[in-house]
Amino acid sequence: MNNLLLDVVTTAGILFVVAVGLLVVFGVLKIINFAHGGFLTIGGYAALIVTQLHWSPWAAPPVALILGILLGMLVERLIVRPLYSRPLDAILATWGLSIVVVQLITIGFGRGTEFVLSPLQGAVALLGTSYSLYRLAMLVVALVIGGAIAGILQGTRLGLAARAVIMNETLAQSLGINSALVRFATFSVGAGLATMAGSLITPLLSIDPLMGVPWLLNAFMLVMVSGTSLVSLAVASLVLGGAQVVVSTYGNPVLGALTIVVLAALLLRIRPTGFARA
Amino acid sequence: MAEAALQLDGVTSGYGEAMVLRGVNLTLAPGEVLAVLGKNGMGKSTLLKTIMGFLPPRDGQIYIHGRDVTRVAPYRRAAQSVAYSPQEQAIFQDLTVSENLRLGLRSDRRSAAATERVTAFFPFLGKRGRQPAGTLSGGEQKMLIMARALLSNPRLLLIDEISEGLQPSVILRLGEVLRRECATRELTILIIEQNVRFALSVASRYAVLARGEIVDAGAVGPGAETAIQDHLAV
Repeated sequence: MNNLLLDVVTTAGILFVVAVGLLVVFGVLKIINFAHGGFLTIGGYAALIVTQLHWSPWAAPPVALILGILLGMLVERLIVRPLYSRPLDAILATWGLSIVVVQLITIGFGRGTEFVLSPLQGAVALLGTSYSLYRLAMLVVALVIGGAIAGILQGTRLGLAARAVIMNETLAQSLGINSALVRFATFSVGAGLATMAGSLITPLLSIDPLMGVPWLLNAFMLVMVSGTSLVSLAVASLVLGGAQVVVSTYGNPVLGALTIVVLAALLLRIRPTGFARA
Repeated sequence: MAEAALQLDGVTSGYGEAMVLRGVNLTLAPGEVLAVLGKNGMGKSTLLKTIMGFLPPRDGQIYIHGRDVTRVAPYRRAAQSVAYSPQEQAIFQDLTVSENLRLGLRSDRRSAAATERVTAFFPFLGKRGRQPAGTLSGGEQKMLIMARALLSNPRLLLIDEISEGLQPSVILRLGEVLRRECATRELTILIIEQNVRFALSVASRYAVLARGEIVDAGAVGPGAETAIQDHLAV
Protein backbone atom coordinates (compact mmCIF):
# COMPACT_ATOMS: atom_id res chain seq x y z
CA MET A 1 0.00 0.00 0.00
CA ASN A 2 2.83 2.38 0.88
CA ASN A 3 4.43 1.52 -2.44
CA LEU A 4 1.20 2.52 -4.18
CA LEU A 5 1.12 5.79 -2.26
CA LEU A 6 4.68 6.57 -3.31
CA ASP A 7 3.83 5.66 -6.92
CA VAL A 8 0.92 8.10 -6.82
CA VAL A 9 2.89 11.07 -5.47
CA THR A 10 5.94 10.50 -7.66
CA THR A 11 3.76 10.03 -10.76
CA ALA A 12 2.06 13.32 -9.88
CA GLY A 13 5.50 14.93 -9.64
CA ILE A 14 6.55 13.56 -13.03
CA LEU A 15 3.31 14.69 -14.68
CA PHE A 16 3.68 18.15 -13.15
CA VAL A 17 7.22 18.47 -14.49
CA VAL A 18 6.10 17.34 -17.95
CA ALA A 19 3.04 19.63 -18.12
CA VAL A 20 4.25 22.82 -16.42
CA GLY A 21 5.91 24.27 -19.54
CA LEU A 22 2.71 23.78 -21.52
CA LEU A 23 0.71 25.49 -18.74
CA VAL A 24 3.07 28.48 -18.62
CA VAL A 25 2.80 29.02 -22.39
CA PHE A 26 -0.98 28.54 -22.35
CA GLY A 27 -1.35 30.99 -19.47
CA VAL A 28 0.37 33.91 -21.15
CA LEU A 29 0.00 33.21 -24.89
CA LYS A 30 -3.49 31.65 -24.73
CA ILE A 31 -2.40 29.00 -27.22
CA ILE A 32 -1.72 25.31 -26.72
CA ASN A 33 1.82 24.67 -27.86
CA PHE A 34 1.52 21.31 -29.59
CA ALA A 35 5.25 21.44 -30.26
CA HIS A 36 5.54 20.67 -26.51
CA GLY A 37 5.77 16.95 -27.35
CA GLY A 38 8.53 17.73 -29.85
CA PHE A 39 10.42 19.72 -27.24
CA LEU A 40 10.07 16.82 -24.77
CA THR A 41 11.60 14.54 -27.41
CA ILE A 42 14.42 16.99 -28.09
CA GLY A 43 15.14 16.99 -24.35
CA GLY A 44 15.26 13.20 -24.37
CA TYR A 45 17.76 13.19 -27.23
CA ALA A 46 19.78 15.94 -25.53
CA ALA A 47 20.13 13.51 -22.60
CA LEU A 48 21.15 10.78 -25.06
CA ILE A 49 23.85 13.00 -26.57
CA VAL A 50 25.14 13.81 -23.08
CA THR A 51 25.36 10.06 -22.42
CA GLN A 52 27.08 9.39 -25.76
CA LEU A 53 29.62 12.14 -25.02
CA HIS A 54 30.31 10.40 -21.68
CA TRP A 55 29.40 13.54 -19.76
CA SER A 56 27.91 13.25 -16.32
CA PRO A 57 24.17 12.42 -16.43
CA TRP A 58 23.70 15.46 -14.18
CA ALA A 59 24.61 17.63 -17.16
CA ALA A 60 21.57 16.49 -19.17
CA PRO A 61 18.84 18.65 -17.55
CA PRO A 62 20.76 21.98 -17.75
CA VAL A 63 21.93 21.21 -21.29
CA ALA A 64 18.36 20.39 -22.31
CA LEU A 65 17.04 23.51 -20.56
CA ILE A 66 19.45 25.84 -22.38
CA LEU A 67 18.89 24.10 -25.71
CA GLY A 68 15.12 24.36 -25.23
CA ILE A 69 15.22 28.05 -24.35
CA LEU A 70 17.31 28.82 -27.45
CA LEU A 71 15.03 26.76 -29.70
CA GLY A 72 12.00 28.35 -28.05
CA MET A 73 13.35 31.82 -28.86
CA LEU A 74 13.77 30.81 -32.48
CA VAL A 75 10.34 29.18 -32.77
CA GLU A 76 8.55 32.09 -31.10
CA ARG A 77 10.21 34.64 -33.33
CA LEU A 78 9.86 32.76 -36.63
CA ILE A 79 6.70 30.68 -36.28
CA VAL A 80 4.48 31.68 -33.38
CA ARG A 81 4.81 35.49 -33.27
CA PRO A 82 3.50 36.11 -36.81
CA LEU A 83 0.40 34.06 -35.88
CA TYR A 84 -0.60 35.70 -32.57
CA SER A 85 -3.61 37.31 -34.21
CA ARG A 86 -4.64 33.89 -35.60
CA PRO A 87 -4.50 31.58 -32.54
CA LEU A 88 -5.93 28.55 -34.36
CA ASP A 89 -3.25 28.84 -37.04
CA ALA A 90 -0.62 29.22 -34.31
CA ILE A 91 -1.80 25.96 -32.71
CA LEU A 92 -1.73 24.17 -36.09
CA ALA A 93 1.74 25.57 -36.78
CA THR A 94 3.07 24.17 -33.48
CA TRP A 95 1.46 20.82 -34.32
CA GLY A 96 3.22 20.90 -37.69
CA LEU A 97 6.46 21.78 -35.96
CA SER A 98 6.18 18.72 -33.71
CA ILE A 99 5.84 16.52 -36.83
CA VAL A 100 8.94 18.17 -38.32
CA VAL A 101 10.85 17.53 -35.07
CA VAL A 102 9.91 13.83 -35.13
CA GLN A 103 11.03 13.49 -38.76
CA LEU A 104 14.32 15.34 -38.22
CA ILE A 105 15.13 13.21 -35.19
CA THR A 106 14.27 10.06 -37.14
CA ILE A 107 16.64 11.16 -39.91
CA GLY A 108 19.38 12.00 -37.44
CA PHE A 109 19.08 9.16 -34.92
CA GLY A 110 16.96 6.48 -36.60
CA ARG A 111 13.74 4.87 -35.36
CA GLY A 112 15.38 2.63 -32.78
CA THR A 113 14.94 2.95 -29.05
CA GLU A 114 17.77 4.28 -26.94
CA PHE A 115 18.53 4.43 -23.23
CA VAL A 116 20.42 6.85 -21.02
CA LEU A 117 22.13 6.58 -17.68
CA SER A 118 20.30 7.75 -14.59
CA PRO A 119 22.13 10.27 -12.42
CA LEU A 120 20.64 8.56 -9.36
CA GLN A 121 20.79 4.79 -9.17
CA GLY A 122 19.25 2.40 -6.71
CA ALA A 123 16.53 2.48 -4.10
CA VAL A 124 15.99 3.96 -0.70
CA ALA A 125 14.02 2.63 2.27
CA LEU A 126 10.94 4.77 2.84
CA LEU A 127 7.59 4.13 4.57
CA GLY A 128 8.58 0.54 5.14
CA THR A 129 9.31 -0.17 1.51
CA SER A 130 12.27 0.08 -0.83
CA TYR A 131 11.63 2.75 -3.43
CA SER A 132 13.36 4.19 -6.53
CA LEU A 133 15.61 7.07 -5.56
CA TYR A 134 15.20 8.68 -8.98
CA ARG A 135 11.40 8.72 -8.84
CA LEU A 136 11.59 10.36 -5.40
CA ALA A 137 14.03 12.89 -6.81
CA MET A 138 11.50 13.74 -9.53
CA LEU A 139 9.04 14.70 -6.80
CA VAL A 140 11.63 17.07 -5.35
CA VAL A 141 12.33 18.47 -8.83
CA ALA A 142 8.60 19.11 -9.31
CA LEU A 143 8.44 20.98 -6.00
CA VAL A 144 11.52 23.03 -6.88
CA ILE A 145 10.21 23.93 -10.37
CA GLY A 146 6.74 24.75 -9.04
CA GLY A 147 8.23 26.82 -6.21
CA ALA A 148 10.59 28.65 -8.56
CA ILE A 149 7.85 29.54 -11.04
CA ALA A 150 5.50 30.62 -8.24
CA GLY A 151 8.32 32.69 -6.72
CA ILE A 152 9.01 34.44 -10.03
CA LEU A 153 5.31 35.07 -10.68
CA GLN A 154 4.54 36.34 -7.18
CA GLY A 155 7.80 37.92 -6.14
CA THR A 156 9.32 39.69 -9.13
CA ARG A 157 8.36 42.57 -11.38
CA LEU A 158 8.69 40.29 -14.40
CA GLY A 159 6.22 37.87 -12.80
CA LEU A 160 3.83 40.72 -12.02
CA ALA A 161 4.06 41.86 -15.66
CA ALA A 162 3.39 38.30 -16.83
CA ARG A 163 0.32 38.03 -14.58
CA ALA A 164 -0.89 41.41 -15.85
CA VAL A 165 -0.54 40.21 -19.46
CA ILE A 166 -2.39 36.99 -18.59
CA MET A 167 -5.30 38.95 -17.09
CA ASN A 168 -5.62 41.87 -19.49
CA GLU A 169 -3.02 42.34 -22.21
CA THR A 170 -4.42 45.65 -23.49
CA LEU A 171 -4.41 47.22 -20.05
CA ALA A 172 -0.91 45.88 -19.41
CA GLN A 173 0.31 47.53 -22.62
CA SER A 174 -1.28 50.83 -21.60
CA LEU A 175 0.83 50.66 -18.43
CA GLY A 176 4.04 50.41 -20.43
CA ILE A 177 4.45 46.63 -20.33
CA ASN A 178 5.99 45.20 -23.48
CA SER A 179 3.65 42.25 -23.82
CA ALA A 180 5.47 40.97 -26.92
CA LEU A 181 8.62 40.62 -24.83
CA VAL A 182 6.66 38.88 -22.06
CA ARG A 183 5.26 36.43 -24.64
CA PHE A 184 8.73 35.85 -26.11
CA ALA A 185 10.27 35.17 -22.70
CA THR A 186 7.35 32.96 -21.66
CA PHE A 187 7.41 30.80 -24.79
CA SER A 188 11.18 30.40 -24.53
CA VAL A 189 11.00 29.41 -20.87
CA GLY A 190 8.06 27.07 -21.62
CA ALA A 191 10.11 25.36 -24.34
CA GLY A 192 13.08 25.13 -21.96
CA LEU A 193 10.90 23.55 -19.28
CA ALA A 194 9.66 21.02 -21.85
CA THR A 195 13.13 19.98 -23.02
CA MET A 196 14.34 19.79 -19.42
CA ALA A 197 11.32 17.59 -18.59
CA GLY A 198 12.17 15.41 -21.59
CA SER A 199 15.70 14.89 -20.28
CA LEU A 200 14.44 14.24 -16.74
CA ILE A 201 12.00 11.47 -17.74
CA THR A 202 14.49 9.61 -19.95
CA PRO A 203 16.08 7.59 -17.13
CA LEU A 204 12.58 6.17 -16.48
CA LEU A 205 11.82 5.05 -20.04
CA SER A 206 13.28 4.45 -23.45
CA ILE A 207 13.96 7.18 -26.00
CA ASP A 208 12.50 7.13 -29.49
CA PRO A 209 11.36 9.81 -31.96
CA LEU A 210 7.73 9.46 -30.85
CA MET A 211 8.39 9.48 -27.09
CA GLY A 212 6.78 12.92 -26.72
CA VAL A 213 3.36 11.99 -28.12
CA PRO A 214 1.78 10.17 -25.13
CA TRP A 215 3.26 12.71 -22.73
CA LEU A 216 1.86 15.56 -24.82
CA LEU A 217 -1.63 14.04 -24.65
CA ASN A 218 -1.49 13.72 -20.87
CA ALA A 219 0.02 17.20 -20.46
CA PHE A 220 -2.63 18.68 -22.74
CA MET A 221 -5.49 17.15 -20.74
CA LEU A 222 -3.91 18.19 -17.44
CA VAL A 223 -3.63 21.78 -18.65
CA MET A 224 -7.21 21.71 -19.94
CA VAL A 225 -8.48 20.85 -16.46
CA SER A 226 -6.07 23.25 -14.71
CA GLY A 227 -6.56 26.52 -16.58
CA THR A 228 -3.60 28.75 -15.82
CA SER A 229 -3.05 27.84 -12.17
CA LEU A 230 0.03 26.02 -10.89
CA VAL A 231 -1.89 24.84 -7.83
CA SER A 232 -4.65 23.43 -10.04
CA LEU A 233 -2.02 21.66 -12.13
CA ALA A 234 -0.53 20.10 -9.00
CA VAL A 235 -3.98 18.95 -7.86
CA ALA A 236 -4.84 17.62 -11.34
CA SER A 237 -1.52 15.76 -11.53
CA LEU A 238 -2.15 14.20 -8.13
CA VAL A 239 -5.78 13.21 -8.75
CA LEU A 240 -5.57 12.08 -12.38
CA GLY A 241 -2.04 10.72 -12.04
CA GLY A 242 -3.15 8.84 -8.94
CA ALA A 243 -6.08 7.35 -10.84
CA GLN A 244 -3.68 6.29 -13.62
CA VAL A 245 -1.48 4.50 -11.09
CA VAL A 246 -4.44 2.73 -9.47
CA VAL A 247 -5.88 1.59 -12.83
CA SER A 248 -2.46 0.42 -14.03
CA THR A 249 -1.72 -1.42 -10.78
CA TYR A 250 -5.07 -3.12 -10.17
CA GLY A 251 -6.39 -3.19 -13.71
CA ASN A 252 -4.53 -3.02 -16.95
CA PRO A 253 -1.49 -0.85 -17.85
CA VAL A 254 -3.00 -0.17 -21.30
CA LEU A 255 -6.19 1.13 -19.67
CA GLY A 256 -4.01 2.99 -17.20
CA ALA A 257 -2.40 4.90 -20.06
CA LEU A 258 -5.85 6.12 -21.12
CA THR A 259 -6.99 7.08 -17.62
CA ILE A 260 -5.89 10.72 -17.61
CA VAL A 261 -7.40 11.48 -21.01
CA VAL A 262 -10.72 9.78 -20.21
CA LEU A 263 -11.09 11.20 -16.70
CA ALA A 264 -10.12 14.70 -17.83
CA ALA A 265 -12.71 14.57 -20.63
CA LEU A 266 -15.38 13.40 -18.16
CA LEU A 267 -14.39 16.08 -15.65
CA LEU A 268 -14.63 18.82 -18.27
CA ARG A 269 -18.08 17.51 -19.25
CA ILE A 270 -19.30 17.80 -15.66
CA ARG A 271 -17.30 20.88 -14.61
CA PRO A 272 -16.00 22.96 -17.54
CA THR A 273 -13.47 24.80 -15.35
CA GLY A 274 -11.96 21.50 -14.20
CA PHE A 275 -9.76 21.94 -11.14
CA ALA A 276 -9.39 25.67 -11.78
CA ARG A 277 -11.45 28.20 -9.90
CA ALA A 278 -14.65 29.16 -11.68
CA MET B 1 6.54 78.48 -28.40
CA ALA B 2 6.91 75.22 -26.45
CA GLU B 3 6.19 72.05 -28.38
CA ALA B 4 2.68 70.66 -27.88
CA ALA B 5 2.14 67.94 -25.30
CA LEU B 6 -0.30 66.30 -27.70
CA GLN B 7 -1.06 67.09 -31.31
CA LEU B 8 -3.41 65.34 -33.72
CA ASP B 9 -3.25 66.33 -37.37
CA GLY B 10 -6.21 65.13 -39.44
CA VAL B 11 -6.57 61.83 -37.63
CA THR B 12 -9.05 59.38 -39.12
CA SER B 13 -9.57 56.00 -37.49
CA GLY B 14 -12.18 53.38 -36.74
CA TYR B 15 -13.01 49.71 -36.71
CA GLY B 16 -12.72 47.79 -39.95
CA GLU B 17 -14.49 49.71 -42.68
CA ALA B 18 -16.40 51.93 -40.24
CA MET B 19 -14.57 55.23 -39.69
CA VAL B 20 -15.41 56.65 -36.27
CA LEU B 21 -13.00 59.62 -36.21
CA ARG B 22 -12.86 61.82 -39.30
CA GLY B 23 -9.95 64.17 -39.71
CA VAL B 24 -9.65 65.22 -36.09
CA ASN B 25 -7.27 68.10 -35.33
CA LEU B 26 -6.33 68.76 -31.70
CA THR B 27 -3.48 70.52 -29.95
CA LEU B 28 -2.84 70.53 -26.20
CA ALA B 29 -0.16 72.83 -24.83
CA PRO B 30 1.86 71.55 -21.85
CA GLY B 31 -0.15 71.96 -18.65
CA GLU B 32 -3.43 72.35 -20.49
CA VAL B 33 -6.57 70.39 -19.56
CA LEU B 34 -8.95 69.67 -22.41
CA ALA B 35 -12.38 68.13 -21.85
CA VAL B 36 -13.80 66.29 -24.85
CA LEU B 37 -17.53 65.88 -24.61
CA GLY B 38 -20.16 64.31 -26.79
CA LYS B 39 -23.06 61.92 -26.89
CA ASN B 40 -22.59 58.16 -26.81
CA GLY B 41 -21.14 56.66 -29.95
CA MET B 42 -19.60 59.88 -31.23
CA GLY B 43 -16.03 58.59 -31.06
CA LYS B 44 -14.79 59.82 -27.67
CA SER B 45 -13.32 56.51 -26.46
CA THR B 46 -12.07 55.78 -29.98
CA LEU B 47 -10.16 59.06 -29.81
CA LEU B 48 -8.25 57.91 -26.70
CA LYS B 49 -7.66 54.40 -28.07
CA THR B 50 -6.22 55.96 -31.21
CA ILE B 51 -3.98 58.32 -29.25
CA MET B 52 -2.71 55.35 -27.17
CA GLY B 53 -2.07 53.27 -30.29
CA PHE B 54 -4.65 50.54 -29.80
CA LEU B 55 -6.33 51.64 -33.02
CA PRO B 56 -3.94 52.54 -35.85
CA PRO B 57 -5.11 55.70 -37.62
CA ARG B 58 -6.24 55.27 -41.20
CA ASP B 59 -4.94 58.75 -41.90
CA GLY B 60 -3.22 61.63 -40.11
CA GLN B 61 -0.40 62.01 -37.60
CA ILE B 62 -0.17 61.91 -33.80
CA TYR B 63 2.60 63.71 -31.90
CA ILE B 64 3.30 63.35 -28.18
CA HIS B 65 5.74 65.87 -26.70
CA GLY B 66 6.81 66.71 -30.25
CA ARG B 67 7.57 63.13 -31.29
CA ASP B 68 5.64 61.44 -34.08
CA VAL B 69 4.11 58.36 -32.44
CA THR B 70 1.63 57.48 -35.18
CA ARG B 71 3.20 54.03 -35.70
CA VAL B 72 4.61 53.53 -32.21
CA ALA B 73 3.42 50.59 -30.05
CA PRO B 74 1.10 51.42 -27.11
CA TYR B 75 3.64 50.34 -24.47
CA ARG B 76 6.24 52.70 -25.94
CA ARG B 77 3.75 55.57 -25.84
CA ALA B 78 3.05 54.78 -22.19
CA ALA B 79 6.78 54.87 -21.56
CA GLN B 80 6.80 58.43 -22.90
CA SER B 81 5.21 59.66 -19.65
CA VAL B 82 1.69 58.98 -20.87
CA ALA B 83 -0.89 57.48 -18.51
CA TYR B 84 -4.18 56.13 -19.80
CA SER B 85 -7.26 55.39 -17.76
CA PRO B 86 -9.68 53.37 -19.94
CA GLN B 87 -13.42 53.43 -19.38
CA GLU B 88 -13.84 49.67 -18.96
CA GLN B 89 -11.73 46.85 -17.53
CA ALA B 90 -9.29 49.38 -16.14
CA ILE B 91 -8.06 47.36 -13.15
CA PHE B 92 -6.62 43.89 -12.73
CA GLN B 93 -9.44 42.38 -10.68
CA ASP B 94 -7.46 39.42 -9.33
CA LEU B 95 -4.37 41.41 -8.40
CA THR B 96 -4.19 43.15 -5.05
CA VAL B 97 -4.50 46.89 -4.62
CA SER B 98 -0.72 47.09 -4.03
CA GLU B 99 0.05 45.08 -7.17
CA ASN B 100 -2.24 47.29 -9.26
CA LEU B 101 -0.45 50.35 -7.91
CA ARG B 102 2.97 48.79 -8.51
CA LEU B 103 2.09 48.34 -12.17
CA GLY B 104 1.64 52.09 -12.40
CA LEU B 105 5.30 52.58 -11.54
CA ARG B 106 7.78 52.35 -14.37
CA SER B 107 10.24 50.62 -12.02
CA ASP B 108 10.34 49.55 -8.39
CA ARG B 109 13.02 52.12 -7.54
CA ARG B 110 11.78 54.91 -5.29
CA SER B 111 8.40 53.22 -5.26
CA ALA B 112 7.82 53.93 -1.57
CA ALA B 113 8.02 57.72 -1.93
CA ALA B 114 5.85 57.75 -5.07
CA THR B 115 3.27 55.46 -3.51
CA GLU B 116 3.20 57.57 -0.34
CA ARG B 117 2.63 60.73 -2.39
CA VAL B 118 -0.30 59.27 -4.32
CA THR B 119 -1.93 57.32 -1.52
CA ALA B 120 -2.05 60.58 0.44
CA PHE B 121 -4.82 61.53 -2.01
CA PHE B 122 -6.72 58.31 -1.31
CA PRO B 123 -5.70 57.09 2.17
CA PHE B 124 -7.79 53.88 2.03
CA LEU B 125 -5.43 52.50 -0.63
CA GLY B 126 -2.55 52.44 1.84
CA LYS B 127 -4.59 50.46 4.35
CA ARG B 128 -6.04 47.90 1.94
CA GLY B 129 -2.99 47.02 -0.11
CA ARG B 130 -3.51 43.27 0.22
CA GLN B 131 -7.15 43.31 -0.81
CA PRO B 132 -7.98 41.97 -4.29
CA ALA B 133 -8.79 45.03 -6.41
CA GLY B 134 -11.92 43.36 -7.77
CA THR B 135 -13.49 43.42 -4.30
CA LEU B 136 -13.31 47.23 -4.01
CA SER B 137 -16.49 49.24 -4.56
CA GLY B 138 -16.98 50.99 -7.91
CA GLY B 139 -15.90 54.34 -6.48
CA GLU B 140 -12.84 52.84 -4.79
CA GLN B 141 -11.84 51.15 -8.03
CA LYS B 142 -11.98 54.51 -9.84
CA MET B 143 -9.78 56.05 -7.13
CA LEU B 144 -7.35 53.16 -7.53
CA ILE B 145 -7.27 53.77 -11.29
CA MET B 146 -6.56 57.45 -10.73
CA ALA B 147 -3.86 56.71 -8.15
CA ARG B 148 -2.17 54.19 -10.46
CA ALA B 149 -2.23 56.68 -13.34
CA LEU B 150 -0.66 59.41 -11.21
CA LEU B 151 1.98 57.05 -9.78
CA SER B 152 3.81 57.00 -13.09
CA ASN B 153 4.23 60.77 -12.74
CA PRO B 154 2.81 61.29 -16.23
CA ARG B 155 3.24 64.42 -18.31
CA LEU B 156 0.15 63.51 -20.33
CA LEU B 157 -2.90 61.91 -18.75
CA LEU B 158 -5.74 60.44 -20.84
CA ILE B 159 -8.91 59.77 -18.86
CA ASP B 160 -12.00 58.06 -20.26
CA GLU B 161 -15.27 58.76 -18.41
CA ILE B 162 -13.94 58.22 -14.92
CA SER B 163 -17.01 59.77 -13.30
CA GLU B 164 -19.45 57.30 -14.84
CA GLY B 165 -21.69 55.70 -12.22
CA LEU B 166 -19.98 57.37 -9.27
CA GLN B 167 -21.61 59.09 -6.32
CA PRO B 168 -21.13 62.88 -6.18
CA SER B 169 -18.67 62.81 -3.26
CA VAL B 170 -16.28 60.54 -5.16
CA ILE B 171 -16.56 62.72 -8.28
CA LEU B 172 -15.71 65.76 -6.18
CA ARG B 173 -12.70 63.97 -4.70
CA LEU B 174 -11.38 62.95 -8.13
CA GLY B 175 -11.81 66.52 -9.37
CA GLU B 176 -9.89 67.88 -6.37
CA VAL B 177 -7.03 65.46 -6.97
CA LEU B 178 -6.76 66.36 -10.66
CA ARG B 179 -6.81 70.09 -9.95
CA ARG B 180 -4.17 69.71 -7.23
CA GLU B 181 -1.89 67.70 -9.51
CA CYS B 182 -2.25 70.31 -12.27
CA ALA B 183 -1.50 73.11 -9.81
CA THR B 184 1.69 71.51 -8.51
CA ARG B 185 3.32 70.45 -11.77
CA GLU B 186 3.00 70.66 -15.53
CA LEU B 187 0.45 67.95 -16.21
CA THR B 188 -1.49 67.89 -19.47
CA ILE B 189 -4.86 66.14 -19.35
CA LEU B 190 -7.28 65.03 -22.03
CA ILE B 191 -10.46 64.03 -20.25
CA ILE B 192 -13.39 62.36 -21.98
CA GLU B 193 -16.65 62.95 -20.13
CA GLN B 194 -20.40 62.91 -20.29
CA ASN B 195 -20.63 64.68 -16.94
CA VAL B 196 -20.30 68.26 -18.20
CA ARG B 197 -20.03 69.92 -14.77
CA PHE B 198 -17.27 67.61 -13.61
CA ALA B 199 -15.39 68.03 -16.88
CA LEU B 200 -15.58 71.81 -16.80
CA SER B 201 -14.53 71.89 -13.12
CA VAL B 202 -11.21 70.36 -14.18
CA ALA B 203 -10.66 71.64 -17.73
CA SER B 204 -9.36 74.91 -19.12
CA ARG B 205 -10.68 74.19 -22.62
CA TYR B 206 -13.41 72.01 -24.09
CA ALA B 207 -14.16 70.37 -27.41
CA VAL B 208 -17.37 68.73 -28.55
CA LEU B 209 -17.15 65.60 -30.67
CA ALA B 210 -20.07 64.66 -32.94
CA ARG B 211 -19.99 61.90 -35.58
CA GLY B 212 -16.24 61.72 -35.31
CA GLU B 213 -15.56 65.40 -35.86
CA ILE B 214 -14.82 68.32 -33.54
CA VAL B 215 -17.91 70.50 -34.00
CA ASP B 216 -17.28 73.06 -31.28
CA ALA B 217 -14.36 74.10 -29.09
CA GLY B 218 -13.51 76.94 -26.77
CA ALA B 219 -12.21 78.10 -23.43
CA VAL B 220 -14.03 77.10 -20.26
CA GLY B 221 -15.88 80.12 -18.96
CA PRO B 222 -19.33 81.63 -18.67
CA GLY B 223 -21.59 80.20 -21.30
CA ALA B 224 -19.46 77.13 -22.00
CA GLU B 225 -21.82 74.75 -20.21
CA THR B 226 -24.84 76.07 -22.07
CA ALA B 227 -23.03 75.79 -25.40
CA ILE B 228 -22.03 72.20 -24.66
CA GLN B 229 -25.49 71.21 -23.42
CA ASP B 230 -26.95 72.46 -26.70
CA HIS B 231 -24.77 69.94 -28.51
CA LEU B 232 -25.63 67.13 -26.09
CA ALA B 233 -29.38 67.71 -26.16
CA VAL B 234 -31.24 64.85 -27.81
